[in-house]
Amino acid sequence: MNVTSCMKRKVFSIHTDLTLREAARIFVRHHIGLLPVVDKDDKPIGVIGMRDLLTLELPDFVSFVADVDFVHDFGAVEETRPSARTLDRTVKSLMKPSITVDEDCGLLRAYALMLQHNLHDLPVISKDGKLVGITSRVDIGAAILSTWPKK
Amino acid sequence: MSLIPAVLSSVIFLVSLFLILSERMNRSITAIAASALIVVLGRILGFYSEQSALEAIDFNTLGLLLGMMILVAMLEPTGFFEYLAVLAARSSGGRPVRLFILLCIITTVLSMFLDNVTTVVLIAPVTILISEIIGVSALPFLMAEALLANTGGVATLVGDPPNVLIGSAAGLSFNDFLIYSMPIVLVCWFSALMVLLFLFRRELSKRPRSVKAIMRLNPAETLNHPNTARRILIVLGGAVLFFFLHHALHISPSLVALSAAAVALVWVQPNLQEVLKRIEWSVLIFFGSLFVMVGGLEHAGVMQAVIGSLDRLTHLPPLAFGVGLIWVVAALSAVVDNVPITIALIPVIKGLGESGMDVTPLWWALAFGAGFGGSGTIIGSTANIIVATLSEKTRHPITSTLWNRRGLPVMVLTCAIASVLYAIIYDWF
Repeated sequence: MNVTSCMKRKVFSIHTDLTLREAARIFVRHHIGLLPVVDKDDKPIGVIGMRDLLTLELPDFVSFVADVDFVHDFGAVEETRPSARTLDRTVKSLMKPSITVDEDCGLLRAYALMLQHNLHDLPVISKDGKLVGITSRVDIGAAILSTWPKK
Repeated sequence: MSLIPAVLSSVIFLVSLFLILSERMNRSITAIAASALIVVLGRILGFYSEQSALEAIDFNTLGLLLGMMILVAMLEPTGFFEYLAVLAARSSGGRPVRLFILLCIITTVLSMFLDNVTTVVLIAPVTILISEIIGVSALPFLMAEALLANTGGVATLVGDPPNVLIGSAAGLSFNDFLIYSMPIVLVCWFSALMVLLFLFRRELSKRPRSVKAIMRLNPAETLNHPNTARRILIVLGGAVLFFFLHHALHISPSLVALSAAAVALVWVQPNLQEVLKRIEWSVLIFFGSLFVMVGGLEHAGVMQAVIGSLDRLTHLPPLAFGVGLIWVVAALSAVVDNVPITIALIPVIKGLGESGMDVTPLWWALAFGAGFGGSGTIIGSTANIIVATLSEKTRHPITSTLWNRRGLPVMVLTCAIASVLYAIIYDWF
């Protein structure tokens, strides 16, 4: 079995020139975690993740203090929102290079890639470089577990 | 004095100083390369040997630094520093001015007994945490912590690397620092705090958005290993006690620090790999290499030439010479790391002493200049660089211009006050 057996074929993507505000709206409307970014010819050139947007709001101390368990109340940070200037930035400014797999990639290889690169969603690319699907950790995990022998 | 060794070793010293200052190359790598080059040159031209290079290293300084680094490396993961900062936050009730004063006091007291850089590295992250959850900018707190750690560190023998170097070279004891340096530093520190409160008055008068969150922080939860913390603090307390007595007992501060480290290691028995990883080997290597380099300069006759050229200055009134030294060293320390300056000036002052001058006041002038000068610029001290680098990863980075506007007044003020007090108590030195 390979990734095509468990990927979603309907993929939402976003254009490089749109703003972060518009990206957030797409994440909310479709309840998804990763948006492939495409250029004018609809070719995938990167990804933007829900967590990239959330990082904009995450307090600075989270990256400096190793153990935040003792902080029971984030106080003022809970009410902060990214500024209008941040939200007007283009998707291109925050986009990351994407890690993708080919259609014939095996399930365990796909899962291992996600684990090592700490990904939750993985775009699938056809031989001619087109975006043909997207799959998640749960999609792949469930597909693997379903192959386990039943008594 | 033959000219070739002196010229060649000076060129090596100046080139490596340039590489360190312009950040073209890591300072420890530069120092290792330059010290090796000077020894090789010394062997070829016959002015410096391996034996003299080893003798040039001040192992008292290295031992004291290593011992204290081991203690801090063991204390760091216990959460003790977070504990102190959270305690300060709670007792401030979230009022920015109070929080500012409390954090500054904690940082200063810690920096009197621990290295400034370590203190700032450990206190800065919690400072960012506390200011974010009450909803004020961390910037004034971070800058004040670095500036007051620099200032407070001058008060004790172990507070700042230049003091360790000066104490070791001049034979000044822990108590000498408490008697001659501490009172002056206290006055300078208090004035610096007042100036900072004034300069940051706008930022500190902002009403915090969330005080409730601060009161929900529980200091006890920050202590991951209360037992380990207790043991290390007991050992640290014992070490400080022996620092008071080291002169009377005729033991070196490095023996005190290394014995304390040994006791703590045996008592706690930590994972040694973890402890060794936290020790700043690059700093120790930097010091060791600088000693070898300056030893080479001495053997090549450069230091004698420098002392000879200072001959005319020694006819100045001694008080003017001392005050002048404070300002010259301070100005140099603002743009250059104060450790190379101190290591390079120590043989010069020693040489002046051998030519008949009373140099005790000059040692203090060197300590004040090297300590207070670091506040002036963003690159003036390692603590400043650390705080600035950390702030670059936050939403409110500290800029060089901002540092000049807040730090330079602190440097000028502390140097001015130190000069006046220095003049007043000059006869007691």
